[in-house]
Amino acid sequence: MSAPSEGTLRRVATFVAAFGIGVATYIAIADSGGGSPVCIAGGGGCETVANSTYSHLLGVNIAVFGIGGYVLLLAASLLRGDAARMVGFGVALVGFGYSVYLTYLELFKIEAICQWCVASAVLMTTLFALNAIRMVGYVGKPA
Amino acid sequence: MSGKGSREARREERLRAEGESEQGERRKRLLQIGSAAAFLVVAVVLVLIVISANKTSGGDTNLEDVGLVAKQLKGIPQNGLVLGESSAKVTLYEFGDLKCPVCKGFSEEIVPNVIDSKVRDGEAKIEFKNFTIIDEESTPAGAAAIAAGAQGHGWSFIELFYRNQGSETASYVTDEFLTEIARGAGVPDIARWDKDRKSPKTVAEVESTTQEAEKLGFTGTPSFAVEGPGSNGLETLGTPGSSGALEEAIDAAS
Repeated sequence: MSAPSEGTLRRVATFVAAFGIGVATYIAIADSGGGSPVCIAGGGGCETVANSTYSHLLGVNIAVFGIGGYVLLLAASLLRGDAARMVGFGVALVGFGYSVYLTYLELFKIEAICQWCVASAVLMTTLFALNAIRMVGYVGKPA
Repeated sequence: MSGKGSREARREERLRAEGESEQGERRKRLLQIGSAAAFLVVAVVLVLIVISANKTSGGDTNLEDVGLVAKQLKGIPQNGLVLGESSAKVTLYEFGDLKCPVCKGFSEEIVPNVIDSKVRDGEAKIEFKNFTIIDEESTPAGAAAIAAGAQGHGWSFIELFYRNQGSETASYVTDEFLTEIARGAGVPDIARWDKDRKSPKTVAEVESTTQEAEKLGFTGTPSFAVEGPGSNGLETLGTPGSSGALEEAIDAAS
């Protein structure tokens, strides 16, 4: 089975990154008002996670870092060439790694699951897969 | 003509091969960089998880049991340092010190049963009163709880503090630690909480309840008292050794 074309990978990554910006922006806005994101299925998991000490890094809500990451991924998916392929892969790799760590924290330290964080983790995992395929399949080749 | 054309063709062929080789080398180099980055990120994530897993609950700022406390108190009204319906006929008073390890034991082993059996259904409410006996850090800790109570998260603060309590003789009640507890307890306005906890009025309240405990004859923490329609005013209970004893006292006061 051949790898999808680079154009297809970039188009899907653009869509997923834009969706990720929306999710991260919602979490950041909900937190900025002193509240927390609303878990659609209830259960209070979102509130517990938002109130935990892990929701902030250096005093800044981690969703703000998420917005930055998704914006970089959106830019990388819109641009051609090796620089865009490498930046896309690097940012998605770091985002995916941090998502794994946050999911671990939710399951074993905070003991609560936030649907919005899970949604972001799924989007970041998808972006990592897309950017990994793009890099392995096309890096070093003409744009 | 044919000799010259042949030379040019060979030259073009050589340049093309060199270009492809260069492209292949570049691709190989970039893939190596990507693999190294992936390896590095996997290593960093594993280190973060191992560090996080080894954190103890001894007063550090990575809070333990945030979810557990939220679950335990979910759906029960909190007003000031009172847990339970304001209309509950019986009030159980707990005089405690947030730095006291025995109070932590009560908070984890005995009080939860009373909350589930008597407070959740509205039969009784529990009011926490600061009785500072450990050291000078007990007062700012108690004041921070009162300030959290002003925003409806007093008991969340108390329970979370106990679950992240440090050693009795250690100095760990820093501004940072208290702020982490307040955040973990869900205090919505941290700036207001910070101002409230430092106000002379809040500190005076801690001192006032400590004097109240001494007047009641208590000498250690936690000490309990109960008041209800069936009690003879405020009845002191001392330090009952089981949740059953507290439940019986509540029944008697009903």
